Amino acid sequence: MLESLFDDVRRMNKRQFMYQVLSFGMIVSSALMIWKGLMVVTGSESPIVVVLSGSMEPAFHRGDLLFLTNYPEEPVRVGEIVVFKVEGRDIPIVHRVLKLHEKNNGTVKFLTKGDNNSVDDRGLYAQGQLWLTKKDVVGRARGFLPYVGMVTIYMNEYPKFKFAVLACLAIYVLVHRE
Amino acid sequence: MSETAEAAKINKWDGAAAKNAVDDAIREVMTGDLKCKESFALIDGRLFLCALAVGVALYALLWDYLYPFPQSRLVLIICVSSYFILMGILTLYTTFKEKGIFVVAKEKVGNNTRVWEASSYVKKHDDKYNLVIVMRDTNGNTREASVTKSFANFIDVNGTVVQNIVSNEITKLYHSLSSEKKEK
Repeated sequence: MLESLFDDVRRMNKRQFMYQVLSFGMIVSSALMIWKGLMVVTGSESPIVVVLSGSMEPAFHRGDLLFLTNYPEEPVRVGEIVVFKVEGRDIPIVHRVLKLHEKNNGTVKFLTKGDNNSVDDRGLYAQGQLWLTKKDVVGRARGFLPYVGMVTIYMNEYPKFKFAVLACLAIYVLVHRE
Repeated sequence: MSETAEAAKINKWDGAAAKNAVDDAIREVMTGDLKCKESFALIDGRLFLCALAVGVALYALLWDYLYPFPQSRLVLIICVSSYFILMGILTLYTTFKEKGIFVVAKEKVGNNTRVWEASSYVKKHDDKYNLVIVMRDTNGNTREASVTKSFANFIDVNGTVVQNIVSNEITKLYHSLSSEKKEK
């Protein structure tokens, strides 16, 4: 069966092969453009995130998918669930806003804590940092889908699985004519 | 390309593969026996549109990498909208301009240049192969002939395309369109 796949490729002339490669490129580009489009529409640099820990149970569990928005006109309020990144670390953290200080000119600083944690997040912030500001925020949670994010977690924990899935998809698109 | 095309062996029950195999055989006949020169303009147009779309996407990726999100917002909006507009243009191009044409061949006869376009389609789960050949020459004549036959006429029991039968069929159509006999 593998041979019949490569037979197809050998019989393609230069232009047909170029078209196969471009078709593959267009599928990847479409996914990329949809993601960038979502980034622009929601105003968040990462409009869809996966909850990685159980620190927000029972509201969110590990593996839930969250939809975020980050509009500059909407102020952060106590009680809202925000996703933020600590300076210097890549992992987004999903926790609830506990305390908030706001100045007249609109600058805010706030403190967060996971619902399922016993202490606030000061231990997670950067060295010497006691409060978060608007620029640390990736977005505010607007909606969620349970369990869907487990696929992403598996793919990150077992990189060989991710590689195998992507390789199979790529080969299928490159070889299959029309 | 090799002088004798290796007989392609395909799964005779796969409609799409069978159509592609017969299309390829017809292309061989037009460029081989009938000595026409293949014109790639139509296919190149499609390749260009695809390459442009992928280029726009890569540009957006690069720009966003160099200037992280909030600064790249304007460039991203432009790239995303132009990408989807290009996708729309591509769809229109394949639906209306290409229309299932798989080979365009030019031929010089005396001081006349004739352009032959062959297009084909198969309906899902149907074994009938529908072929339409259109001939346009510089005198302004346009003639069209179509043939609908079951794949069983062209593909033998092993799944190999029988080049001779395809060649006879196409040559017959070629002569009937080349002669002054009016169609319809």
